[in-house]
Amino acid sequence: MATDSTFLCLRRCLLAGAVMAALAGPSSANKDPVTPQQLKAYQDAFMAEVKKGDLLFHGDAATAKSMGVTLSTTGWACAMCHPMGSDTHPHAFPKFQASMAKFATLRDMINWCIEKPNQGEKIDPESAAMKALEAYIYWSNTGSVLVPGKY
Amino acid sequence: MADELDRLRREIHSVLHKPGVRPDDSVRITRRMFVHRSLLFGAATVSQAFAWWPLINTIDVAHAAEAPFKFAWISDTHLYPRSLNQRFVDKTVRAAQDVKKMDPPAEFLIFGGDLAQLGKIEELELGNELLKEVTIPKYFIPGEHDWYLDMGKKWTELFGKNSWTFDLKGVRFIGLDTVSRGPDYWTAKKMTPEERMGHMSALDGTVAGPWAGVGREQLDWMAKTLADWDKNKPVIIFSHNPLYEYYPPWNFWVRDWRDVHEVLKPYTKVTNIHGHVHQVLYNEIGTMRSIGMLATSWPWPYAPEGLPKLTKPMIRVDPGDHFDGVGWGKWSVGADDKIENEYMMWGRKQVFVQSPEDHDKSIPEVIRPRIVDNMYPFANP
Repeated sequence: MATDSTFLCLRRCLLAGAVMAALAGPSSANKDPVTPQQLKAYQDAFMAEVKKGDLLFHGDAATAKSMGVTLSTTGWACAMCHPMGSDTHPHAFPKFQASMAKFATLRDMINWCIEKPNQGEKIDPESAAMKALEAYIYWSNTGSVLVPGKY
Repeated sequence: MADELDRLRREIHSVLHKPGVRPDDSVRITRRMFVHRSLLFGAATVSQAFAWWPLINTIDVAHAAEAPFKFAWISDTHLYPRSLNQRFVDKTVRAAQDVKKMDPPAEFLIFGGDLAQLGKIEELELGNELLKEVTIPKYFIPGEHDWYLDMGKKWTELFGKNSWTFDLKGVRFIGLDTVSRGPDYWTAKKMTPEERMGHMSALDGTVAGPWAGVGREQLDWMAKTLADWDKNKPVIIFSHNPLYEYYPPWNFWVRDWRDVHEVLKPYTKVTNIHGHVHQVLYNEIGTMRSIGMLATSWPWPYAPEGLPKLTKPMIRVDPGDHFDGVGWGKWSVGADDKIENEYMMWGRKQVFVQSPEDHDKSIPEVIRPRIVDNMYPFANP
């Protein structure tokens, strides 16, 4: 009996410990209130990607070369159909995309545009260039309301 | 900023949309015109209703041309060198061949600007060569893409004066240059011609600023040109940019459009036909109607705000078909008080939206200007 209650107590202690660890996160996680410096660093990290994405989106050859991508072979750039990121509708993805006849993500759509209208080379969905393009497109559409699935 | 814009728009509306002031009051009422007029009573709500738009591809605008005739419009071919982009070449050739096949033939072709993409000599020469297919008289007005590499040197050499006028069968035609008077954004920053052109060629760029304008000197020329013209006879003005304020961040306007309107106000039958917007567009400002034409190269989406309520938008296009959403314009001027504009959109029987989902603005969006214009000169991050 005593053994059973000791075991039960031990098990409760372990469970409580696990819950606390899960809430607190790993020992290296930030436990302090966020500082203005941190906020700036986070924002700077984001905007650096947005700027790269802006250049790629507008057909800047040097940026494309430095990131190892060929987004177009025709002189055509994303911004020629999507000035200011308009008509990209990142907030409507994922959705069934009629032009691809499949359920698609924004990254699928970006690659479709690279391959079809731009006649460029499809890029790795996990690549830095894809993340930069995604960052720019989302940033351009800041304030748009999520409407996933909307045609 | 938004409050200021609202204030300006209210002011514009109070000045230009006075009760009873419309273009062309004396035109014959046809069914189409009847539908059109009925629209005006409900203009505030139609853009939401998607139900009461007029059939604006056929509109009654002019007054008594002396004999019927046709003309054709091609613009915004945005040609790169043939070795880089064959698709733009193919579409220009197709438009030229279509114009050539018109029966009865067009009296003339108006090219509405942006022949080249980056203003290069070989691009302009390519365009000139492709349009030689059309042997009827041709008139040219420049676009910003044609101008800002060499400040119009090659363009002027190929096509002559930027502003011109002629009369044909009771209609006075005027060609305006709305692109060459951009504020100098390059000298102080020591830009190369290629950098200057690079900023100009980005529709959503901010560095080139409000470059679209008519200019005092040209306004005076236009006033003088119209001085001997009967105020009730038709005037058709060609320009690259629309002669009203649609969306300034993309230069979908001319910055001195109020001055343009002052010159044209006494004339009751003015039609402005313009390029630059790459989309179906219709508006009325005071006594002037404006009609936006398709590009042969690619369609722009409608701007996030400012789309005239009188515009019945064009259908949402398939970006996988590079012949979709683009084309040229066929114009018929009748002796029966009518001008008809037919949007020759390739591969589409239906040019206009048929339901809210057909409109490229069916998904609401909030967008903002690009960020790297704050990083001049363009630099790799």
